[in-house]
Amino acid sequence: MFRGWKLLLLALAVAGPAAAQEIENELVLITPVAKTLTDPTLADFVKYAKERWNVDVRASALAAGTPVAYGRIVEWKGRPEVDIFWGGESALFDKLAEQKLLQPLNLPKQVMDAIPATIGKPKPIYLKDPKGFWTGTVLEPYGLVYHPRLLQRLGVPEPKDWDDLLNPKLKGNVAQCAPSRSSSSHATYEVILQRDGDDKGWAWLKRLGGNTGMFTARSRDVPSVVAKGEFAAGFAVPSYMAFEDRLAGFDIKFVAPKTAWVTPEPIAILAGARHAKAARAFIEYLLTERGQKVAMERGVFPITPKYRVQGAPGSRAEMAVEFTGGLRSYFDVDVTNIYDDDMAQKRYEQVNERFRKEIESVWADLKRQP
Amino acid sequence: MLGFALIWAFLILFVLFPLTRIFYDAFTNEAGQFTAANFHEFFTDRFYLRSFWQSMVLGAAAVVTTSVIGITVAFLIVRYEFPYRQLFSYLTMLPLILPPIVGVLGFVFILGRAGTLNILLQDWFGLVHPVNFMYGMHGVLLVETVHLFPMMTLSILDSLSKVDPSLEEAAQGVGAKGWRRFFTITLPLMTPGYVSGALLVFIWTFADFITPLVLGVQDLLAPQAYLNIMQFVDRRIFRMGIVISALLVVLAIFFVLAAREYVAIKDYSSLAYSRVERRRLSAGKAWLAVGFLSALMLVSAIPQVGVLLAAVGRGWSLTPIPVHYTWEFFEQVSIETPKFIVNSFVFCGLAVLMCLVIGVPMAWIMARTRAPGRGAMDALTTLILAIPGTAVGIAYIRAFNFPLPLIDLPLTGMWVILPLVLAVRRLPYTVRGSYSSLLLVHPSMEEAAANVGAGKLRTFRDITVPLVWKGILVGGLFSFITSLQEASATIFLTLGGWEMIPFGIFTFYIAGSQSQAAALGVILIAVCALSLYVVNRIAGTRVGGLFG
Repeated sequence: MFRGWKLLLLALAVAGPAAAQEIENELVLITPVAKTLTDPTLADFVKYAKERWNVDVRASALAAGTPVAYGRIVEWKGRPEVDIFWGGESALFDKLAEQKLLQPLNLPKQVMDAIPATIGKPKPIYLKDPKGFWTGTVLEPYGLVYHPRLLQRLGVPEPKDWDDLLNPKLKGNVAQCAPSRSSSSHATYEVILQRDGDDKGWAWLKRLGGNTGMFTARSRDVPSVVAKGEFAAGFAVPSYMAFEDRLAGFDIKFVAPKTAWVTPEPIAILAGARHAKAARAFIEYLLTERGQKVAMERGVFPITPKYRVQGAPGSRAEMAVEFTGGLRSYFDVDVTNIYDDDMAQKRYEQVNERFRKEIESVWADLKRQP
Repeated sequence: MLGFALIWAFLILFVLFPLTRIFYDAFTNEAGQFTAANFHEFFTDRFYLRSFWQSMVLGAAAVVTTSVIGITVAFLIVRYEFPYRQLFSYLTMLPLILPPIVGVLGFVFILGRAGTLNILLQDWFGLVHPVNFMYGMHGVLLVETVHLFPMMTLSILDSLSKVDPSLEEAAQGVGAKGWRRFFTITLPLMTPGYVSGALLVFIWTFADFITPLVLGVQDLLAPQAYLNIMQFVDRRIFRMGIVISALLVVLAIFFVLAAREYVAIKDYSSLAYSRVERRRLSAGKAWLAVGFLSALMLVSAIPQVGVLLAAVGRGWSLTPIPVHYTWEFFEQVSIETPKFIVNSFVFCGLAVLMCLVIGVPMAWIMARTRAPGRGAMDALTTLILAIPGTAVGIAYIRAFNFPLPLIDLPLTGMWVILPLVLAVRRLPYTVRGSYSSLLLVHPSMEEAAANVGAGKLRTFRDITVPLVWKGILVGGLFSFITSLQEASATIFLTLGGWEMIPFGIFTFYIAGSQSQAAALGVILIAVCALSLYVVNRIAGTRVGGLFG
């Protein structure tokens, strides 16, 4: 009996000590997640930390595309300049864990249990790492964007599915980013290839190349050039990036086709992080109702069935719901997923190479084809 | 002697070592074995070869366009008198202030597919499909021409005012008139200045990756280097980025060698200054000159106007100018802007200080001593001038990413690397500026001081410095202004908390807010214009000569 009590106390001391535990007064993220999502969450976390631990945390985010962030973490060789890696593909997080560049999250059990292991059929989308090195933070689809007024001018109906981008009237009016430069573009290239198979898939992507008016340098530029009206439609855009342009006052619309890949935006603490406690506190905060709410107002969805995007009429949350087609939670609907991340990562370089050879190098010729 | 050794130590450590590292990387594979396969891949890949060829053509085209405009402007301003000449001599320098990223965005806002001009054409003339002014090689050429023609003007302004007019009069006396006189007398005499200007324009265009990327042009060398380096996951592509950077360095060396006769420091200011008499233009021609310069200024103002409109316009799309106006973007950037501005001033200030500490003695060694290795020093500074910032940034991150002894931190983890890289990049300007100032001080003054017993250092401090400080200060301020806008080398090295204004613009742009980026761009333009004004006040209107 007495022994049992001691054990319980010990367990409590390990599992629920956050309230008593001090955290470091600094926190640095490296992240492909845009500032518009990282800034509000970090700002609110600073307040949260002040209330909870009375610590003034200096929090900052180093913006870097997924490949750059991954590359810098590898180059740091376990002596990272930052504490947290947030966003990108979960397969990359597995790769980092294999290289011993991540440390176990060790989050309280009830926090982790609130997140289902997977979502989607026929292929599962993993929402957390069974080994405990990373967890998903929010759900976010990679879809299409378009400029409604410009489409009207061109006499093109509003797109609903990927195939609508092949409309000949959209020639020269589609913006996209090369799969070697953007993880959302790469994933969506894979969606098409896995939907149609290699031969038909590449033929489809070449036709899209023929309709393309601009290959942007980064995926974030795709909604920007569409919002401005430079191009009428954009391929493979994360929902929240497009929503930011909507919030900035632009007339831009978003649609997630049925087969759109939904990313859990994984997060992990780097091995050797100088502010590991603050890092753990931030991740735990992100998964609280408060943290999820801040994110939901920026056009992404909760990672757990416990919460739904909801707000007062006219609120930013309601605007987001309207923008993403009325959805409040991915756990309310059947998620169709045909994207297999393992397969995609295995042939990552081949797809880039083939894109370069068959689309990028001969883009001028593709454009000339009717 | 110690100083001499220190200067060489600096040059070897911060110039030669990183460049060697890039070549080491380019000639090895992931396993660290020596291989030439990377270069083989480059030279057998049609896409890379096309990028290579197009880069050369674009660079050459930019030299042609900037020459035509730059020489015309220089001639008008130096040789002729017409209304508002003073004002134009100031205004024609303004295009040099073009903040990275947002400068070209400014062009797109006005001349893009949904830009002001196309919308007006559609609204007024019923144009259906927008005219493509920007997306493609021609757009890149337009941006580079507008940005760089003042560099050409500045480069020949100096030589032009040094060309003895009596030579031209003599030519006229024997019947050589107009174009003939220009090609046989004037042009050869300004060749040194012109060649170094052309080299700068060529390398700049060659090395600029931001402008082509914003305009959707990726088949050029610099964008390929940048995009590939940014690709860390696919290690093979990453390696190709390094290979392209190494190639940029090789090309820079090649061009400097090719232009060696003209850009070597001893050749460029050996002529004495002479007063140039300005000819008054007839009323008709005067107004033609004013018309030409006004039109030029109008085109040059496009990016600034575009940036300003984007910074205050909300949801600006498919209308000639924004419909809704707001200060919100300035408010949003104002939280972080003070940090960016402070960082910019501290880092650029430190960089200029380093430039002075190292560059002025270097110039003195070259101008006043017969120390061995002067030629190598000159060659090295000229080379720095020609090496693309992209390659320098990549070289630094590859070379200095190991923990230093004692402090156990890599140099890439310390903010001092930013002023360091800026100092290295701007060192040639300081050396050349100081050198030309030193040439104007007659050595007999220093000899007199030495005769009355003053040591070398004391002579330098008490005699030389007071006589040349103005030229050096202007050189320093000029380096400061260009450092403020630097975005190529620093982008690769910046870590959280060290952001300068251009990197801030870059982060806002990356975050997707062109409006916030534009707001910060307006702030950068203001800061630079103010600095330029200060330089002009100190220097009078003569800032030429800095470019050699």
